[in-house]
Amino acid sequence: MANVLLPGAALDPDDILTRSTGRLFWRTGFDRCIGWILPLLFVVAIFPILDLVYYISSQALPTLTFGELTSTSPTAIDALGVPIITTFEIMLVATLLAVLLGVFGGVATAEFLSPRAAEWIRASANMLAGAPSVIVGYFGFITFCTYFGWGYSYIAGVVTLSFFMTPYVFRTADLAFTSIPRPIREAALGSGAQPIQYILKVGTPIAFPQILTGVFLAMAIGVGETAPLVLTTTHGVLIPPTIYSPVSFLTGLIWSDFSSPGSGLQAVAFQAAFLLMVVVVALNIVVRIVSARYRKRLEGLYQ
Amino acid sequence: MTAASDAPMGSDAAVLNVRKLSVAAKERKILDQVSLSFPARSLTAVIGPSGCGKTTFVRTLNRMAELTPGLRVSGSVEYLGQDIYASDVNPVLVRRRIGMVFQRPTVFPKSIFENAAFGLRLVHEDEGVIDQAVTESLQRSGLWDEVKDDLDRPALSLSGGQQQRLCIARALATRPRVILMDEPTSALDPAATQRVEATMQRLKEDHVIVLVTHNVGQAARVSDRTAFLHSGHLVEIGATAEILERPKDPLTEQFITGRFG
Repeated sequence: MANVLLPGAALDPDDILTRSTGRLFWRTGFDRCIGWILPLLFVVAIFPILDLVYYISSQALPTLTFGELTSTSPTAIDALGVPIITTFEIMLVATLLAVLLGVFGGVATAEFLSPRAAEWIRASANMLAGAPSVIVGYFGFITFCTYFGWGYSYIAGVVTLSFFMTPYVFRTADLAFTSIPRPIREAALGSGAQPIQYILKVGTPIAFPQILTGVFLAMAIGVGETAPLVLTTTHGVLIPPTIYSPVSFLTGLIWSDFSSPGSGLQAVAFQAAFLLMVVVVALNIVVRIVSARYRKRLEGLYQ
Repeated sequence: MTAASDAPMGSDAAVLNVRKLSVAAKERKILDQVSLSFPARSLTAVIGPSGCGKTTFVRTLNRMAELTPGLRVSGSVEYLGQDIYASDVNPVLVRRRIGMVFQRPTVFPKSIFENAAFGLRLVHEDEGVIDQAVTESLQRSGLWDEVKDDLDRPALSLSGGQQQRLCIARALATRPRVILMDEPTSALDPAATQRVEATMQRLKEDHVIVLVTHNVGQAARVSDRTAFLHSGHLVEIGATAEILERPKDPLTEQFITGRFG
């Protein structure tokens, strides 16, 4: 068949571009339906979250006062000042420990260890990340509270929680360093950089936004964890005078107050839940802003 | 561009002397008993079809090949009489004297100045030395006039050709004797290629340059000597004009006349 259309001849049916019949009809129809179904599924998925936010806010806000947030009275049942401060203290130190372990681990597996050893560590980290938090808590209790003899204490809680958070930091740090384009690494080493100089001067600035994301995510997960702390430290009513004193924390407060019979305590549980929710949402927003800003600086990097 | 190199091959004047160099990955031989030498003030083009081992070859010359897991290198590469594969040689020092430029620009997410200063910062040079070396190497790489007023600009904002000349400046700043270039213009447009080629021409006055290229035309334009590699063997090496006009080996002739590759 000559591939020429004579003047005045009718168009070949294959040349008509607007037709949608037969199989093509069903395909375009399916495409259109998907365009509706996916947003609908999105609404279904997001509904529980919105409901949760609404429910907690509606329970907590009417009774929440500024006085409660700042009151550190050890006797008032609705004083949230102590758990707010101690949760902050726990998170600060646990995050520092997790960053130390996680980032050093990530650098080691990405750059310094043999591929075999690195694989073992990655597999262990994944296992630790997948371990139920209550198991991690129980491990912390056995190891730190009893074997090390620290008892129910701030330090046992912090170390256990940091163990729980470390795999999240480790995984992002490892991924951040291993996903640096190979030619960039070779260019640094080819310019006469020692591996550690490459990590410090070239690798870290490139990997930083991703690591930061991992750290914030680990914090968001850690601040909402209950089991690792419940099993390793009990409710202190004071800001712990020593690291071996028991300490209270927001998730622990929710856990104990919510199952209390008095409606007053349940209201406090809702207030603590509201605070936690605000913190977690804030952390997630900060992650997005910070990583977007840093990522912009890396635009155009060898892909 | 004529200049047949009249330095006798394999002479003591050679800066780099490659003897019976073989590279193997698992069962496969990538390079087989390659021997050749690179005299001072020469630009040698290494040509050959894809997969002939030319990139691997150039990466063995400053011990970059060992960064690819699983490659085994045997034979010797002598830099001014010292075997760079000897057990007491520090590969970091080798790479400081034998610089490298890659296929695509590999600038770091730092300022133009800091990119050029990178190799010197690694050895904690004084600020004054760095300033001067950065200026000089940017001038010699032919980028100075375009960037002298904003050295603090992010290097990633430069065009591809400018980034590649910045990479050349970065390699120059540590004053290496040898510069290895692995298809440095394969990601650049013709105008940027021309500028990088002009830079190479100038650099060969003081450096030994080893240029891997799949482009016979580029070899003809810039190199004094050409080596033709084919499936891991050095088929022939000689003055570029000789090799390109009167190749001795039929394989070489087929390659340069475009019958394969």
